[in-house]
Amino acid sequence: MADVSERRAFSTVNLVAMGIGTALYAAFNVFFNLFQLPGTQLVALRPSVCIPMFFGYVFGPVVGFVAGFLGNAISDAISWGGFWWNWDVGNGLLGLIPGLAFYLIPREEIFRRRGYVICAILAVVASVVGMGFSAYTDYIFGYGVSTVEEATYALFIPAALTDAINGAILAPILVAAYSAAARGRARGA
Amino acid sequence: MPAARFIRYVEGNSPVHRLDPRAKLTFIFFLILSLTLASSLIQVLPLLIVSLLFYFSARLPWEKTRGTWAFILAALIVLSAMNYLTVAALYGGEGESLASRLTSPETVLRAVIPVIKLLSLAAATATLVFTTPPNMYAPALGQMGLSYGKAYVIQLALRYVPEFVAELRKTLEAQMARGFRPRGGKNPISRLLAIVPLVVPVTVSAALSIYDIADAMELRGFGGEECHTWYRKLRMSKLDKALVAGSVALGATYVALQVLETLNLI
Repeated sequence: MADVSERRAFSTVNLVAMGIGTALYAAFNVFFNLFQLPGTQLVALRPSVCIPMFFGYVFGPVVGFVAGFLGNAISDAISWGGFWWNWDVGNGLLGLIPGLAFYLIPREEIFRRRGYVICAILAVVASVVGMGFSAYTDYIFGYGVSTVEEATYALFIPAALTDAINGAILAPILVAAYSAAARGRARGA
Repeated sequence: MPAARFIRYVEGNSPVHRLDPRAKLTFIFFLILSLTLASSLIQVLPLLIVSLLFYFSARLPWEKTRGTWAFILAALIVLSAMNYLTVAALYGGEGESLASRLTSPETVLRAVIPVIKLLSLAAATATLVFTTPPNMYAPALGQMGLSYGKAYVIQLALRYVPEFVAELRKTLEAQMARGFRPRGGKNPISRLLAIVPLVVPVTVSAALSIYDIADAMELRGFGGEECHTWYRKLRMSKLDKALVAGSVALGATYVALQVLETLNLI
C-alpha cells in the first residue's frame, strides 16, 4: 500500500477525497437530519459521522476536516436552506482528529488491529472535542442557548455520546472494509 | 438530477439574486462576526433588521421557503421555551420566587437575545443559499483568492451529492434483490434505520473511486502548475461594492464596540 504520509495535503487524490467525502457525508446527512433526538435542541442521530472520521483516518486530517465541515454545511443547506458555522467546524473536527493517526502510529499499522483500536479511540476523542466545540460555542457566542447547563445537557451530551458510539463502532469497520477492498483491487489505500 | 435542483436554490431576478456571490459571502462573513461580538439587545436588534432586509430584498416566493421557515420557527419556539425556563429555574436572586424570576426583565432578555441571534443567522444564511446558484460558489471562492484546486472541492462535492443519493437508492434496491428486507413499512424511523446498512458499502465503493477520478482529472490537466482561469468571470457592480463596503463597516463597528466595552469606555 502506498505511503500516504508522503502525499501532499492538497494533491489531486486528496482534493478528490475531500470532494467525495463531503458529498457522501452530505448525502447521508440529508436522511439522518430527519432523525432528531427527543429532548435535545435539534441534535440528530447520525451514524454517518463515521464518514469524515474514515476520510480523516485514511486520507489525513485536512481531508477529514474538509469532509466534515463542508459536508455538514451542504447537508444543512439541503435540509433546511441555511447553515450554522460553529456546528460545521465541530463536524470538521470529527474528521480532523482521527487524521492525527498519521502522526501517532506508523503507516504500516493503520490497517492492522492496533490501528483499528486507535481509530476507535480517536473517534471517541473527536466526538467529545468536536461536539464540545459546537455546543459550548453556541453558549459562548449566544447562538440560541442561554445557559451552560442547556449547552451541556441539551447539546453536548446527546451529540457527543451518540457520535462517539456510532464513530467508535462504524469508523473501524469502514477502515477494515476499505482496506480489504483496496487490497482486492490492488489499489493504494 | 442536477445539483441546482437538489440544493435549495430559487431562481429569481431580485437585487439579491443579481448580487455578485463574492459580495454575498463577504456580507455573511461580517454579519457572523458582528453577531458573534454583539452581546446586548441594542446591539443584536440592528443585525436582525439587516438580516431580514437582506431576506425580504430577495423576494423569495413563500411556497418555496415555507419548509425553511417552519423549521426555523419550530427551532425558535423550542429554544425560547427552553432558554426561558432554564434561565428562570437556575439563575436569579437568592430567595426570589419562581414567579418573580419568570417575569423579571433580565430573565426575558437573557432568554430572548440568543434566539434573536439565531434568527438573524438563519435568515441571512438561508438567503445566501436560496439566491446563489450552486455552480457559482467555486468560481466565487476562486476569484476571491482561493487556489483553483481548493475551490474545485466545492464543485466536486456539489456534483456528487445527487449521485450518491441515487447510489444509496440503487444499493438498497440491490440488497433487497438479494433478500434484505428493511423493516418498518410506513414508519419513518424504521425507514431511516434501513439506510444504516448502506453506510459501509456506499462509502467503500465511493472511496475506491477516488483514485479513478483523480487519474481522470490529472489526464485532463488538473493539478498543473500553470495559472488556471474560471469560465464564469465575475464582475462587481456598484451595488456589490456598496454591499462589501457596508459589510466591512458593519464588522468594524462591532469590533470597535467590543474594544470600547472591554476598555470600559461605554
